[in-house]
Amino acid sequence: MATAIAADLEPASTRTPRIPTRLLPYALISPSVIVIGGILAFPLGMLVWLSLQHYGLRELIAHSGEWVGAQNFQTILADPLFHQVVLRSLIFTFTCVALTLVLSTLIALLLLKVRQGVRIIVMSALVFVWATPVIVTVDIWQWMFDYEFGVINWVLTQLHVGNFIHHNWFDNPAQGLGVLVLVVVWGAIPFVTITLYAALLQVPGEVIDAAHVDGAGAWQRFRFVTAPILKPVFLIVTTLSTIWDFGVFIQIYVLLNQRPSSDYFTIAIYSYRESFGVTQYGLGAAIAVVMVAILLVVSVFYVRETIKQAEIA
Amino acid sequence: MKPRKAWFSVIGLAAAVVVAACGGSSPQSTNPADETGTLTIWLMNGSAPQSVVDGVNADFKAKYPNVTVNVEIQQWGEIGTKLDTAFAGSTPPDVVELGNTLVAKYAAAGALEDISGKKSTFDNSGTWLQSLTDSCTLTGKLYCVPYYAGSRAIIYRKDFFDAAGVQPPTSMDQLLTVGQKLMQAHSSDPNFSALYFPGKYWYAALPFIWDFGGDIATQSGGKWQGSLNSSSSQQGLTQLNTLVTALSRADKTGDEAKQDDAFAQGHIAMIIANGWEVGVITGKDKTLTDKLGAFPIPSHNPGQTAPVFLGGSDFGAAAKSKHLSAANAWIQMFTDSKNMSQMATVGGVIPNTTSLLGLGTGLNGVFYSAAKNSKFVPNSPNWASVENANVLPDMLVKIFTKQQGIPDATAAASGRITTILSGGG
Repeated sequence: MATAIAADLEPASTRTPRIPTRLLPYALISPSVIVIGGILAFPLGMLVWLSLQHYGLRELIAHSGEWVGAQNFQTILADPLFHQVVLRSLIFTFTCVALTLVLSTLIALLLLKVRQGVRIIVMSALVFVWATPVIVTVDIWQWMFDYEFGVINWVLTQLHVGNFIHHNWFDNPAQGLGVLVLVVVWGAIPFVTITLYAALLQVPGEVIDAAHVDGAGAWQRFRFVTAPILKPVFLIVTTLSTIWDFGVFIQIYVLLNQRPSSDYFTIAIYSYRESFGVTQYGLGAAIAVVMVAILLVVSVFYVRETIKQAEIA
Repeated sequence: MKPRKAWFSVIGLAAAVVVAACGGSSPQSTNPADETGTLTIWLMNGSAPQSVVDGVNADFKAKYPNVTVNVEIQQWGEIGTKLDTAFAGSTPPDVVELGNTLVAKYAAAGALEDISGKKSTFDNSGTWLQSLTDSCTLTGKLYCVPYYAGSRAIIYRKDFFDAAGVQPPTSMDQLLTVGQKLMQAHSSDPNFSALYFPGKYWYAALPFIWDFGGDIATQSGGKWQGSLNSSSSQQGLTQLNTLVTALSRADKTGDEAKQDDAFAQGHIAMIIANGWEVGVITGKDKTLTDKLGAFPIPSHNPGQTAPVFLGGSDFGAAAKSKHLSAANAWIQMFTDSKNMSQMATVGGVIPNTTSLLGLGTGLNGVFYSAAKNSKFVPNSPNWASVENANVLPDMLVKIFTKQQGIPDATAAASGRITTILSGGG
């Protein structure tokens, strides 16, 4: 503003040509817009364009597809497998996000109470889990759940939980998906816990103390004091977890030896299978577009809540 | 079209013709000794002994001293995806080893060079194994050179059979009773399998389907129709399911990749395997060399054998390759009589020509003769998609884990196969 006022005071004749003040914000934001457009909007545009074409191997090699309009979308929407896959993805995501948030909140609250030494050990363990590449951890999980040589079957048998010799965790898809939820939640807890713990440190001690003096129990203090203060952070981690868990791919793909049966298809696996397995790239792109659309709904909700928060503040 | 635009396209077309002419003629006119660059070869993991590859590369170097040969070993697991993306790029590998069930897909998509006119330049092209030649042929044109074949039989532990007092079975019913006796003899071993059969092992399931007269799909009037749900296919699968339930403790959702390791550990009496797997097993445990035997998969008709799947590989030259003459020269050397004999004697596979079938002796002889009663998957450009969509493994897992009955599982798989083979997703 100061520059603008100063500029107004200068005699018009001595003014050097410059961007009109009105346009300055746009000029400043344009580099980011161009970069985001280049790395996000362009590929997304290509994806939508691909989803409107018949694009098989021949078209891939010749680099030109055949325009079919909305036919790919009609095909997938009429496919009962697609409905199952979307439903499975939604349930899977909801379960993972709910478990991640509940467990992470409990661990974060626990971290406030424990001694320094314990806290350092727990935090280091969390950072280790977060820092290890997903491929490596999933490989280890795969060995642990192995049908013939897995340590989990051995331990459960030794503990007399039951006869787990040659127990196949992936025989029954409900059980197999349970294992996958475990692996995904295990990998997601560190980031959410550390974020929530950092946020908890920002909750003013005097407010908690005041609530204590007023006779609020532990649950009431969390419910009516801590949780509202943490709401923006909860919003962020919930949204991020939803986006990550909805797009889950590596865990399922690696744990099931790159050949998951259709009972284990989530929307990302299904899209990959149609694209690269059956070489129907147009159809695969259409599935990916639907996936993006579903995630957009989540993002819109997040943006709306963020704006609300900003207005309150 | 406006005149100006037309003018531009004429220039473009002329330029393209000139470029094509240069690109097409120069490699043929150059002397092999003058040719330079890198020839990239994709070989599949475990297909050729290193000594054969080294020998071919040395011969090639003598003829093309200035061409560098770069042999890259690929894994079977994700090869379909890798090939798709490689062929879509502008510099695909010059020579690729292709599983014989994959050739039709890439030939139809225009990824492979049509070598019909060069057939006679390859050794033994008149006596190539018919089913491999068929896998290379699409609408009367030749797109690849047969490399080797493999057919499956049952590898068994002679010492286990002797101890249980049983002989190699000569019918499917006998296979079950022999297996049950072996299971009884090893009843104290919770890991023992008389016949180790991983759930996704569809190559080994086909003989049972074919033996009862069933098939994956049948063609009529140019259209493919899935037929795994036919009563004869279902009969074969019922027989297989009985055997697996009674005799196998293998992972019902696993594949055959680990079966040789498992066999070498000594808790298995029989596996359905390729001839070269004998070498893999004895490589892990030398003491097994004298204890291994082999017999063909018996038919349900006593005394006969079941038809087996003829697997194998072919060599194709990429249509986009910039070194087509060198690529074909390399294939010529690899598939000549000398190297094919090596593949048979050192590699333990069935060579590409009937003129060398006499090389199958001892245990190998069992696998060679199994190849004589062999069948193939539907030779359609869309077959590879059926494989990549895991239709058969999924069906078998559903049956063996009892998630679905045989009628439901086969009906679903058959419908899917009909859709994919007729070009749908």
